Amino acid sequence: MKIAVCVKQVPDSEVRLNLPGPVPELDRSAFTMVINPYDQFAVEEAVRIKERLGQGDITAVTVGPAAKVREMLKKDCLAVGCDRAVIVDDAALAGADPLAVAEVLAAVLRRDRYDLVLCGIKAIDDDSSQVGVMLAELLDWPHVGYIGSLDITGDGLTARREIEGGVEVVASPLPCVLTCGKGLNEPRLPSLPNIMKAGMKPVEVVDCAGLGLTPPAPLTAVKEYTPPPPRGACVMITADDDAAAARELARRLHEEAKII
Amino acid sequence: MPNIAVFIEQRAGQIKQVAWQMLSEARQLVDAHGGEVWGVHWHAADCDVSTTAGRYGAHKVVTATAPEFERYDSELWTQALAQFVQQHKPDLLLIGSTAMGKDLAPRLAARLRTACISDAVGLSWNDGLVVKRPVYAGKCFAQMTARSACPVVGIRPNAFALRETGGTAAAVAFKPVLDASRAKAKVTAVETAAAGKVALTEAEIVVSGGRGIKGPENYRLIEDLAGALGAAAGASRAIVDAGWVDYSHQVGQTGKTVAPNLYVACGISGAIQHLAGMSSSKCIVAINKDPAAPIFKVADYGIAGDLFAVLPALTEAVREFKR
Repeated sequence: MKIAVCVKQVPDSEVRLNLPGPVPELDRSAFTMVINPYDQFAVEEAVRIKERLGQGDITAVTVGPAAKVREMLKKDCLAVGCDRAVIVDDAALAGADPLAVAEVLAAVLRRDRYDLVLCGIKAIDDDSSQVGVMLAELLDWPHVGYIGSLDITGDGLTARREIEGGVEVVASPLPCVLTCGKGLNEPRLPSLPNIMKAGMKPVEVVDCAGLGLTPPAPLTAVKEYTPPPPRGACVMITADDDAAAARELARRLHEEAKII
Repeated sequence: MPNIAVFIEQRAGQIKQVAWQMLSEARQLVDAHGGEVWGVHWHAADCDVSTTAGRYGAHKVVTATAPEFERYDSELWTQALAQFVQQHKPDLLLIGSTAMGKDLAPRLAARLRTACISDAVGLSWNDGLVVKRPVYAGKCFAQMTARSACPVVGIRPNAFALRETGGTAAAVAFKPVLDASRAKAKVTAVETAAAGKVALTEAEIVVSGGRGIKGPENYRLIEDLAGALGAAAGASRAIVDAGWVDYSHQVGQTGKTVAPNLYVACGISGAIQHLAGMSSSKCIVAINKDPAAPIFKVADYGIAGDLFAVLPALTEAVREFKR
């Protein structure tokens, strides 16, 4: 089983933006960068599949500047069980939108031929939730999105995915793209010896030309970033006791806010 | 002069509320800038959506009826929508950012090689489309533009208000050519959750509990209030990771993003990862013992008190108003 896991480096969720007003671009220079937390579920699932089957080869694939993403690949992918990594590093991809990124990833995946591709359900920076599904379309593969559990059976798989008010059970042949979220597994932490050994694993750096690809032009662009609208001050409800405060809150939600 | 197509999603015989919300908003846009609103609806057996769609602003509803539309299939839905876009040439296609919409929109956009923007909360038309959407988990908004014909834009449920400003919609039959042999992933079963449970992402009211509930046995206080309000029950990451409630309840960065009319945070301190999932709620109520908890910074109403006293009284008061 040849498995690819697509990962993205994103700003840590603790990053604060505090925009003073509309800005054409975010200053990302001071952001602490981490592996996208959803991609960790994809990495972990790939490793578990390999462990369960007793065979397999896992490639972590990412798009970004090699100097910045190398350490993430080592610590969060290679040290927890991925066998190799591919970095697509091309300055022309700086403004890439999800479809452009999917086209680049598809070029890597077509070249190396995989049985299964795992992605996170979304990246926590642009929150687009598009690349995994687009990748499946560009490869002309089926996909199952937002999987909560997975069962690989010979040349196919069965996955469960949460929908509003229930669960869909989906069966798919291989090859297939899966997008992974929380609840699927508990990602393991890398051990120090494994981080040391991960330094020996092969990491390929390639650009678009090396993939025989013209850098795809983005079809969407951010005109500007704006801060969230300010919220009014919190009305603190005080009363003789907590139960009276609760009744007063209910009255205000009913009469003032007209919500209940 | 945009002609705006709105995908009217149907699941288990029910039309998603977000479809009517999108029609309402699209109608506002075309009333200001010209153009028409077209509903698009796939179903397995004839049912009339054009009356309601018309009321919420659709000028016409394009409907395809085929046995293949009995159960959602991303490939077949994509085929039908791609053919609709190619034949009717709308200037913009709106799809609700639901489980189905998030599955469908990126595949459709990739097939059509058109721009795709998800989870939008605002649309405007100034010499072209500008889409507003939260990024960085709601810490800021991106104002986005698209450089292709017929962008596919996902709309977050509850982002737009319902407006019954339309009239009568013409029903137009559409016959897509469906190639079922290309549909490789198949939904083999749908398991429905217990009756009476409200889906978190679509709920108009959400009541969530955090560490302040002290133990899994007290989550029923959250469920009781949610029940009285007709709300969905949510949870902070802390109590999901502690195993007190199932992950499907988690609101926040690695859980669900919600934007209800009312969000009641009980015993939740308001970590940045939690705020990420609920800060665009229209009205936020915080109940927390610690008056310095960050949750009060985003709340509209707050009670700095003991939730074990507040919640039962609040549940009772809500029941009184409902009587």
